[in-house]
Amino acid sequence: MALPVKNHLKLLRTERGWSQNALAERLGVSRQTINAIENERCDPSLPLAFQIARVFGLPIESIFDPM
Amino acid sequence: MTPMKLFSPIPRRYLFELGGAMLAYALVLFASIRLLQTGRFEGAAAAAVALLPVLPCLAACWAILRQFRRLDELQMRMQLEALGFSFAGTAMLSFGYGFLEGVGWRPLSMFFVWPVMAGLWLVGGVLAAWRYR
Repeated sequence: MALPVKNHLKLLRTERGWSQNALAERLGVSRQTINAIENERCDPSLPLAFQIARVFGLPIESIFDPM
Repeated sequence: MTPMKLFSPIPRRYLFELGGAMLAYALVLFASIRLLQTGRFEGAAAAAVALLPVLPCLAACWAILRQFRRLDELQMRMQLEALGFSFAGTAMLSFGYGFLEGVGWRPLSMFFVWPVMAGLWLVGGVLAAWRYR
């Protein structure tokens, strides 16, 4: 069974004043992907989750919380 | 949410590659039809001329596969769901109509299959985009 994962992506992004498009560009993904992750309609792959953590300069577990 | 917001913009490179392939298809199709109309081709030669438009279709396949490789992980998942929907839907509709042909319904051309699949691919794409909006 899949482990539900919560994330603070939207909060972290808006704190930095970045648009979804700007974050998508930094990560090399579509804006739609950022939106879906923020709305928790899908979880990012492990490489993308690490890339997100690197962009925000935070440990991965401070962005994604397994419930 | 507007349809434009639901979908990511189509990359210019893909439009160029697919557009080029479709233009080539239109030209080769036109040439193939004109050649067959001359009545100079029969048997295997006629079949070869009739199949000429399939060659630019290979270029379209190449353009589509290249675009698939450019997709990110969510777009890839959405395409998988859209294609799964159209694959299963086309199977259901084509087999369903095939059974009806068995009880006397008018036989349809094979040309009907792909437009049905493309239409269902589009519907599946909208459903997937809605699901991950």
